Amino acid sequence: MAPAKKKHASSQPCIIPGGFTVLSLQFSPDSAAQHKVYVKEHRVRAEKSSHRPLDRTLFVLNIPPYCSEAVVRELFSQFGSVQSVELRDHPGSFQESGPKLSKFFRPAEKKGFKVGYIVFHGSSSLTAAKSHPHNVPLVVCTEQRPVRTGVQKWIQQYTESFIQSDKLQQIVDSFMKDYDKRKEEEAERQKKEAEQQQEDEEGWVKVTRGHKGTKARPHSEAANQRTLQKEMRKKKRKELMNFYTWQHRNTQKEHIAELRKKFEEDKQRIALLRAQRKFRPY
Amino acid sequence: MKKKLTVAEMIASDSSHEEEEDEAPLKAKRSKPGEAEEGEPVCRPVKLSRNDLYRPPTVEELNQLKEAESLFHCSLLKMQMEELLKEVTLSERRKQQIDSFIQTVTTLLQAVPDSPEVEVSDLSWLSSAVKIPFLPVPKTTKGKFHMAPPASVDLIGSYPLGTCSKPRIMVDLAVTIPADVLHPKDAVNQRYPRKRALYLAGLAQYLTSSSDIGTMRYSCLHGNRLRPVLLLTPPDTSSFTVRVHACPPPGFFKPSRFHPQRNNIRTEWYTGLQTSQSESSEPPTPHYNSSVLGDLLPRAHLQFLSAVSSQCPAFADGVALLKVWLRQRELDQGTGCFNGFLASMLLAYLLTTHRISNTMTAYQLLRNSLNFLASTDLTVNGISLAKDPDSTAPSLAEFHNGFQVVFIDPSGHLNMCADMTACTYKQLQHEASVSMQFWDNPTVDGFHSLLMTPKPMIRTSDHVFQLCELVKLQSSCKKLNLLSELMDHSGNYVHTVLPFLLSLLQRGLGQRIHLLTHSLTPDPEWSVDSEAPKHKAQPPLSFGLLLRPELAASVLERGPPADSPKAAEFRQLWGPRSELRRFQDGAITEAVLWDGESMCQKRLVPKQIIAHLLQLHADIPESCVRYVGAMVDDVIKTGSEVSSTGEEESLLVVQSYDDLSRKLWRLEGLPLSITAVQGAHPALRYTQVFPPLPLKLDYSFFEREKISRSLVPKEGKPCPAYITPITVICHMEGSGKWPHDRLAIRHIRTAFHIRLGELLKNDHNYTCRPCPTHLDVWKGGLVFRIQVAYHREPQVLRESVNAEGLLVVRDNEEAQALEMATIHKPLLTSTLHGLQQEHPCFGAVCRLVKRWLAAQLFSDDITEDSADLLVASLFLQPAPFTPPGSPQVGFLRFLHLLSSFDWRNNPLVVNLNNQLTAADYTEIKNDFMASRESLPVMFIATPKDKKVSMWTKRAPSVQMLQRVVMVAAESLKVLEHQLMDGSQIQDVRVVMRPPLDVYDVLIHLNPKQVPLLSQAVDPPAVNFSRGVTTGSVAQSGGALPVIDYNPVSLYLTELREAFGDLALFFCDPYGGTVIAVLWKPKAFISMPFKTSQVSARSVEVTGEEVKTVPNVEAILEDFRIMGEGLVKSVEARTEKWSF
Repeated sequence: MAPAKKKHASSQPCIIPGGFTVLSLQFSPDSAAQHKVYVKEHRVRAEKSSHRPLDRTLFVLNIPPYCSEAVVRELFSQFGSVQSVELRDHPGSFQESGPKLSKFFRPAEKKGFKVGYIVFHGSSSLTAAKSHPHNVPLVVCTEQRPVRTGVQKWIQQYTESFIQSDKLQQIVDSFMKDYDKRKEEEAERQKKEAEQQQEDEEGWVKVTRGHKGTKARPHSEAANQRTLQKEMRKKKRKELMNFYTWQHRNTQKEHIAELRKKFEEDKQRIALLRAQRKFRPY
Repeated sequence: MKKKLTVAEMIASDSSHEEEEDEAPLKAKRSKPGEAEEGEPVCRPVKLSRNDLYRPPTVEELNQLKEAESLFHCSLLKMQMEELLKEVTLSERRKQQIDSFIQTVTTLLQAVPDSPEVEVSDLSWLSSAVKIPFLPVPKTTKGKFHMAPPASVDLIGSYPLGTCSKPRIMVDLAVTIPADVLHPKDAVNQRYPRKRALYLAGLAQYLTSSSDIGTMRYSCLHGNRLRPVLLLTPPDTSSFTVRVHACPPPGFFKPSRFHPQRNNIRTEWYTGLQTSQSESSEPPTPHYNSSVLGDLLPRAHLQFLSAVSSQCPAFADGVALLKVWLRQRELDQGTGCFNGFLASMLLAYLLTTHRISNTMTAYQLLRNSLNFLASTDLTVNGISLAKDPDSTAPSLAEFHNGFQVVFIDPSGHLNMCADMTACTYKQLQHEASVSMQFWDNPTVDGFHSLLMTPKPMIRTSDHVFQLCELVKLQSSCKKLNLLSELMDHSGNYVHTVLPFLLSLLQRGLGQRIHLLTHSLTPDPEWSVDSEAPKHKAQPPLSFGLLLRPELAASVLERGPPADSPKAAEFRQLWGPRSELRRFQDGAITEAVLWDGESMCQKRLVPKQIIAHLLQLHADIPESCVRYVGAMVDDVIKTGSEVSSTGEEESLLVVQSYDDLSRKLWRLEGLPLSITAVQGAHPALRYTQVFPPLPLKLDYSFFEREKISRSLVPKEGKPCPAYITPITVICHMEGSGKWPHDRLAIRHIRTAFHIRLGELLKNDHNYTCRPCPTHLDVWKGGLVFRIQVAYHREPQVLRESVNAEGLLVVRDNEEAQALEMATIHKPLLTSTLHGLQQEHPCFGAVCRLVKRWLAAQLFSDDITEDSADLLVASLFLQPAPFTPPGSPQVGFLRFLHLLSSFDWRNNPLVVNLNNQLTAADYTEIKNDFMASRESLPVMFIATPKDKKVSMWTKRAPSVQMLQRVVMVAAESLKVLEHQLMDGSQIQDVRVVMRPPLDVYDVLIHLNPKQVPLLSQAVDPPAVNFSRGVTTGSVAQSGGALPVIDYNPVSLYLTELREAFGDLALFFCDPYGGTVIAVLWKPKAFISMPFKTSQVSARSVEVTGEEVKTVPNVEAILEDFRIMGEGLVKSVEARTEKWSF
């Protein structure tokens, strides 16, 4: 399965077209099979956030599900000290999640293969990682650093899922305090904006949308729709139905067309069923 | 969104792949539906051009359209019937074949040589290759016989009339025995029937030498051994059969001799004993009489029917439809059937009495005849076709004395329904009235239920039982003192005793049943060189019971007061089982008490009654009665002392829930009040396969968690018993205090969970565990999982502000999932709970069905909710059946529904609470047709969900549905075969053992870590201690147990998350110890290297091209690593893999 190149240069790093270096990873020292981890320096045209400095971030693909952030940190610290590890389901730019949530409130993580962004302290670590020989596998679970899987892990998970209710209450309270504060700030800001729209010294009023105090149209999609429908209904009411002879004739014509259409539909359905031999009673 | 993100990475990695990636998913999307629809055509909305639609109509077309609109629900039904008729009528080619064969046979028969005259009992003139088709009991009879060429050979019956239809094409040929072979006194003492049999044997002997005849067999008309017939098929094809009847010359016997009160078999001759009875005191022999008389009249009947049918152009089509209807209900064959001849006669009766007019269409003929059958009871008020019967003809009352069902032919002498039992007629009436009911219902696909759905007894009747050793019926004849009846039936003890057994059972079962039916003995067939089979050689007699669910399971049979005159009758019926009992109302009455503690035992009370009555009155031992009523129920049986199928346990759960709900309502000190408490778990609608049992825990088995002192599973010990959390949704009052932000709402909900937990702990001492998502309450050995819900939350989840600051409402999965959990599931639960109150066996059917689905590893494809809905549809729209009255019949019908429903072209509409009208049905159907391809493959519509089929949106996929359908069909076949045939191996669990050879990898699990091991289809002999002790369960308090901890499901989730795009994982959630893995067909196609698609793949480099393939060895290793402690072995069946 391994690339053909490997055989000739066994202690060489294996680099595949596209710039990725292939590292082997196995669960325990005596594992028979290895996963291939693909690493490359993180490079995008416009990285806005400072979380992934371009020269110090290693982009890692195909991290097996039993490697948690801590495990990955340990694994890669052999190339240099690690500043941060970010594991994600899919590659993508850094997302600012809203207010910091306690672990009990975060949505459950998917336990599949992950993509990792590892930020080292020094940029030399990147080169070290990229030139790691292919035939020296990274070992996840060693005696010094046991990684729990299976039943042990599930029991641990179950045990860790407990939280005392007063602690939970604390988390809730602090979040809600935070939330209220944000709400207040928001209200404050809006009020300020509104004040800006007041008359200035020279008597000018800055006119913007959504002036406080005036009865503006509600600013939502549903409201837009409602107004449109109202218009339509109005239009319809003004129309005359079955007033002129041609209108009457038209409705009759429509009726026959309707019957015909139904007839055709039924015919088609029958043809279909006949094709499937659906009329054999036995 | 996802697209955008990946592009950023793509630029960095390799821009050359960008284009490909853009295309690939699109292609996949496009190809997927196309592939699914391959092979079979699919209905697409019709597109007619404007010109076609609006061209001026011709008068003819206008009439046709109008007729279709007014006569039928839609023109569809009319067309369907026309198509059906095309399928059953004989083709011209076939007719030519028949005509030419008839020609050959006729010429052959005309040349039968004469033979010298011998005694009737002398069979030496017959060669050994041909036997006489007759059971000579008693052996001797007087008379002379010789062979002579037939006086005439004529076609009779359906073929010349034009009502002959496929399948089983029978062409009747009457061969007239020359008058000099017979003697006018031959009608007495079976002389004529014997001569007729001899004559047939003579014909057979002559025909064996001819090469123009294919096969030659004997049979007898409607199972009547006195009326043998000779079956001939042409040598080149077996698509039709010619039935040769031997008849006396017309008018040879005087019809008045065969008056139902007359005797034509002398006791002295029959018993061989000298008796001093005079001829006048001999018992009448109505059945014998009518069997001889029946031979005299076929030509007259043909003339009569031809005359009638020539008046009515749709006659033949009407008869054909009626025959199809009868055949689907298994009423058209065998002894005492309502055959095509009777159907023609019935139509003739309706036409001659002007109940239907000659100009009606076949559709109307069928409808009117069913209406007539439904409303007329021929067992009480017989009908007669005779216009002006001669003075010798018997009166209707005399016919009623001799026969159970009376329908008199045009001559006025013959009762055409002589062999029919009252039960068969009642069944016919029942079928007709059921058919009329659903025919009038515009929401039912009338055509399909009326004419296309077969109704075998095992799927129609709630309970079925069989009498196996028919020889034992001889002793019942003796016990019931039926000598004269036996004489009348010329020794056929089965048919003699049958009416008596039926009336006995009818009396005994009384109010418990709607209907008692019995199988019609099929006509025996045997080759001409073997002896006629004995009466006992026929297949076992089957009886079907249609139960009245509210009364059938009652253990008490309350009789009349001890001093009333009816008491003696009651005691006579029940024998020693009847005893005097004093009731709470002070009455002292005769009563019979049957055994039965749990519901599943009570359901078998009819079995006890039948066994008891048959033993007491008919001397039939219990070992001969094979009762098929609850054979399948075994797989959902629980309980150690009293076996139970879960009704009692479910009731306990529901009661406990009701108590909790009451306590929740009464809580004080909540900031907002509770507006609704709703159950949202299958256990709360009686459909949980194994309802949770209250458990008492052995604390020493567990570890303790440090802070809350809750129990935690111990490493190294077997997995603790699984405790199902029973979901309860608790809606909180809406208020301005609720925040308008998704995260804040979640936190407030958590606060409610905490508060509720505190209150429940303080007020009722329940151990509680609040979490952000729910609150677990440990109450009386059960765990309830309370989820607080706020009705505006889905709305909040849907709202978002877009870039322009416009508030948009967009549906998303999160909101849907929340609505599903807090609105739809509770609603479904309460609706189905209502259905259970109406139909007591609804829950049991659901449990059986879900057990089967789980055992066949389909429980992830057909979810619990959709399975419950499918079962609900069986109860809400049972046409052409009645709602299932026992778990077994419900299960069989479910399998039939699953395997025969046309999922591709039809939506399954489940009319919960009868909320849908006919207009809604049309709307659903039209919407479905219009967007078939984008809808789920299994489309289930309910009143609350007409357009999207939310319960089956996620699963099953096309492929899985195909497999489910296939397995269901196979299971149904195996099961019905087993249930109806006592000689098969009796192991219903066969249908619960999935075939594992189709899967690529099997992961065997360590039984120690499978908590539900004891629920397996084949429960293991040894089980592990799982921390549960026996004893009474404390109502409150105690340490919190291990809740919802199931290593198997945790493992499955992890596997699916990691390898879901490479393989499918199947497991029986109820104690399955194997996980079956199936690689997806597309998983092993090598793909170009893409950053988003390298999970568990290894690369292959060829030049500059990089391809990836799954790293199978590592994946198999991962299966082991991820399930450390749970996985026993991973069995990779590499020999099956093809990539």
